[in-house]
Amino acid sequence: MEVLKVNGAEKEFPQGVPGTLAKLLDELKVESAMVAAEIDGQIIERGKFAQTPLRSGQSIELVRFVPGG
Amino acid sequence: MNDKLVIAGREFDSRLLIGTGKFASCETMAGAIEKSGTEIVTVALRRVNIADENDDMLAAIDRSKYLLLPNTSGARNADEAVRLARLSRAATGINWLKLEVTPDPYYLLPDPVETLKAAEILVKEGFVVLPYINADPILSKKLQDVGTATVMPLASPIGSNQGLKTRASLEIIIEQSNVPVVVDAGLGLPSHAAEAMEIGADAVLVNTAIAGAAEPAQMAVAFKLAVQAGRMARLSGPGATGKLASASSPLTGFLRDD
Repeated sequence: MEVLKVNGAEKEFPQGVPGTLAKLLDELKVESAMVAAEIDGQIIERGKFAQTPLRSGQSIELVRFVPGG
Repeated sequence: MNDKLVIAGREFDSRLLIGTGKFASCETMAGAIEKSGTEIVTVALRRVNIADENDDMLAAIDRSKYLLLPNTSGARNADEAVRLARLSRAATGINWLKLEVTPDPYYLLPDPVETLKAAEILVKEGFVVLPYINADPILSKKLQDVGTATVMPLASPIGSNQGLKTRASLEIIIEQSNVPVVVDAGLGLPSHAAEAMEIGADAVLVNTAIAGAAEPAQMAVAFKLAVQAGRMARLSGPGATGKLASASSPLTGFLRDD
């Protein structure tokens, strides 16, 4: 079973992990505007999400702006 | 009156920065921001809430009108702050940053050592760094020396509404500073903001006092007016204070014979 750790939580992908980071965001219904992503601690530049392949076992952080002082 | 606030070469008319946290709703937040006349609003960075499709407050902020100033709240040390800063820039291209390193959850006081360490790294990476600090004149100088765009000393703990508890130190920072001084945190009333401007602060940052008011939009107006009044007073050259009275009416021509 392919898995990814997304924001600290293990997610299973019975059909295999999405091919790219952009596809993962689509599957999670996360709007990619203003989202920052890290894969295994490496920041992925905005605009490169569709060219960034994913592999089972990777740890992904997705962050966005929220209200704050 | 051409009295612009200049930060990193960019000019602003408003000397009131607004924090976007703690508002009851996005609509309330947007209304208060608009009424405040601000041009700079802070935001934080957190994990996307994957379970919630409507997890997006940014839609309520018109980015053509307001400069977004991401903060590194949540960072407990320099490494965490630098990571948040880089993520913020990767997400939006914004290289302005409110540097906030607050490991202590009780008073949320900023760690001076980690803040200076992070500032040095981030300035070298091309960030416009606005560091949140305690009202420490020496630290303030050191941060300017590494190239921060401002210093942002606190008046009292974040969200405490206590006002200018650090007034004496703020006055020293203001006197010695070569970069704009933005008093940030603990301003609870418009009179506190006016006081900060009267002692020479270049700007103030307010969040809780507005978001936590019963009428946030109206309180935002009150703060706007207070910041303008305080600044105008400062530029008008206030008179000295004295221990004894100094008569306001003439001391001659009294209606008596002695």
